[in-house]
Amino acid sequence: MMPPRPLLPALVGVLLAGLAAGDGEALATAGAEGGEGLALRATKAIVAAAEGTQVIDQALVLVRDGRIEAVGSAQDLEVPQDYALLDLGASWLMPGMVDIHSHAGGTRGDINDMVYQTNPGLRVSAAVVPANSGLQRPIAAGITSILFIPGSGTNIGGQGFLMKTGLEEFERARLRDPGSMKLAQGDNPTRWGYRMGRVLMNYHMRSAIRRGLAYAERWEEFEAGRAERPERDIQLDIFRELASHRTQISVHTQYYQLVMMSVLMLAREYGFDVYIDHGSFDSYLTTPIAIENGVAAILGPREVMVPSPPRYDTDGQIQGTAWGFQQRGHPRIGFNTDAPVVPQEELPLQAAMGVRYGLDDEEMIAVRGITIVPALTAGLDERLGSLEPGKDADLVVVSGNPIDPRSHVELVFVEGACIYDAEANGRRW
Amino acid sequence: MRVPLHTGAFLTALLTLAAPAVAEEPPLVLIAGKVLTMDAEGTVHNPGMLICQGRELTYVGAPVEPPAGARVIELPDGWVSPGLLDIHTHIQAGGFQDINDMVQAVNPELRARAGLIPANPLIRRACNSGVTTVFGIPGSGTNMGGLGVLYKTKAHEHAYSKIVMADQGGLKVSQDSNPQGRNATDFGVTRAGQGWILTDINERALSALRRDHYDPALEDLKRALSGEIPVLIHTAGSEGVMNSARMWGVDYGTRCFVSHGSFDGWRAAKAVAGMGVPVNHGPRTIDYQAAMNGRVNGSSAEYVAAGVPLFSLTTDSSVIPQEELFLQGAMSARYGGDPYTMLEALTTNPAQVFGIEGRVGSLEPGKDADVVVRTGDPLDPRAAVLLVLIDGVIEYDREATDSGSDRTRR
Repeated sequence: MMPPRPLLPALVGVLLAGLAAGDGEALATAGAEGGEGLALRATKAIVAAAEGTQVIDQALVLVRDGRIEAVGSAQDLEVPQDYALLDLGASWLMPGMVDIHSHAGGTRGDINDMVYQTNPGLRVSAAVVPANSGLQRPIAAGITSILFIPGSGTNIGGQGFLMKTGLEEFERARLRDPGSMKLAQGDNPTRWGYRMGRVLMNYHMRSAIRRGLAYAERWEEFEAGRAERPERDIQLDIFRELASHRTQISVHTQYYQLVMMSVLMLAREYGFDVYIDHGSFDSYLTTPIAIENGVAAILGPREVMVPSPPRYDTDGQIQGTAWGFQQRGHPRIGFNTDAPVVPQEELPLQAAMGVRYGLDDEEMIAVRGITIVPALTAGLDERLGSLEPGKDADLVVVSGNPIDPRSHVELVFVEGACIYDAEANGRRW
Repeated sequence: MRVPLHTGAFLTALLTLAAPAVAEEPPLVLIAGKVLTMDAEGTVHNPGMLICQGRELTYVGAPVEPPAGARVIELPDGWVSPGLLDIHTHIQAGGFQDINDMVQAVNPELRARAGLIPANPLIRRACNSGVTTVFGIPGSGTNMGGLGVLYKTKAHEHAYSKIVMADQGGLKVSQDSNPQGRNATDFGVTRAGQGWILTDINERALSALRRDHYDPALEDLKRALSGEIPVLIHTAGSEGVMNSARMWGVDYGTRCFVSHGSFDGWRAAKAVAGMGVPVNHGPRTIDYQAAMNGRVNGSSAEYVAAGVPLFSLTTDSSVIPQEELFLQGAMSARYGGDPYTMLEALTTNPAQVFGIEGRVGSLEPGKDADVVVRTGDPLDPRAAVLLVLIDGVIEYDREATDSGSDRTRR
């Protein structure tokens, strides 16, 4: 486990101005809460804002009290007097990466309770081990936030937990609880019992949702003073959060038919904030209704459609799922690993494979898919996902383009504190 | 080393037994080389003297002239300490039978007192080793095992009312590991599932409280949720400790304490300290896996350093024999803990967790005469127990036991 640590001696050599090199105490706390300010100069900064400029060359980023204070060109922006300056040379600076489909938040893999077919009351927060050993490689890969979710053994697995990977204290690591309600369409949940089909599973889900929404409504009536206080039902509590859009449904769904049903049922029929998780194979055929209902496509770890005629015929072509969504004009495409199905640290590789199979990476689309897009999708864009003033100073220094597998992460900051330094700590993967 | 008993006084004492009028019993005076009072100031009398009148201590201090007619025991090389407390034990039924009823996942209606056999062989061993007050609880086979009974380990007393301090001493909850293996192919194999089960029954009890609805299965749980009785939570691992403390200490605001807290549970110590939840640690007080630093980490020292309130130790007897409670303190000191703090963890701290510090846990006038005399430091494994008093009665006397004669008073 890595406690938030001071900038290490290896870095001190590149500290140029502001504080004198060797002023250890100030350097140790620069950028973090209560410490001196920190200025980072990079040859390229990927801003990844929801809108506007995506890349700044010769950039300067100012950090104070764990938050980003200013971002701009080094020509326009001055380094304030008492700030420690860190010159990153030819390296790139980017926001910490966000993976909103992960099972790595605990250490014992107890993510599937499978007696009931739907379990909206189960909270995976009970299994969280902050900064656990399995998160050390992801931290070294620059993945600073994850959504830790239950498995897909049942149609509703329970409640996810949005957390920072590198913070040891539970309360600090917690970004939001419940982070989502995990719903699983098709395939995996058939492991339950006697391999029921999609139609019956669909009934189970609708049944749970209808009861949940009725429950949420009873509470709404009570809070408006129009009804008696309802009995609390912990199985259905999360529907109060969902009905008032304080959390989302992350839906394990893949193939055209299942994804279509996810969008129609969850977004159009019931009006939840919902996003596609996995979306493997030919799910891109749902693009028009996904756009119409504001449903983001968070793809991976399998994001290609291989020809399998006669059911799925692609004329012998391997088609990229991300490409398919982009071709049809989807504005919000992101990636996930489903860690440990695919190692958490390979999140950037998921984005890279999207590009390999046809995604046009203009305007940093691929990097946005592992930063601002998941942050927006999970409703955390006020804190995460881009280099913009006011956001958490979760920063990653990479030797080159982050989705180039040949690049490697050099430094990782969480809330202004350096928690990983490849030179001092050694490369972890 | 042992000064013979004042024979005359001894005879008088024997005669008094016939007449139950306690107030007329002559006082018992104990003079020893060192008296660790474990009071708030940490007072040590060197040498020291105790006077017991009936079941109470009436004097603790430097040796003075014994009252006339007193029975005087002098152990000039002996170390005197309060009787030890273990607030997580399973010896009440004389073995592991009758502690786990496992049809349902939660059983707040069960009471461990129904399995209590006074003066059973395990209770006698506890007594003979200087463990004088224990919380006897159901097992951890289900998420809620039922109510525990708080009692004294009198080796020769068979009257239920004379050993039990609190018939419904507190609620036993199990939130990690063991109940996951209930083998009922049932709900609750994950931590999330166990959290659901416990939240569900708590909400049902709170609902019954709000509606003033009587439900025999929930009455005891209602009392735990309204702070009337303490809640012991069997939990371990950092996620278990964190989650249990948050659920019972913060979300439900009960008088709870974490028990076991083993493995890498100490990594949640700071958080638990912040919530003000006491920790009752053991019987595994080391961790060499989680940190992966090649070092054996003493988790007792870690909990204390993090500032958890009222840190105490346990054997989980008979998982670890009850007579080895002192060894939990010794090994915690061996792995980095402060020895005196570890002695507090066996005496005053567990007493405070149960709010019985006015009676047990330290040697002060007005408190119960639960006294242990050893040949040396209570945490030194080489020190043997010489004498044990509970409620002013000699329940163990090594010399008498060795010589085959029973000089205890029954």
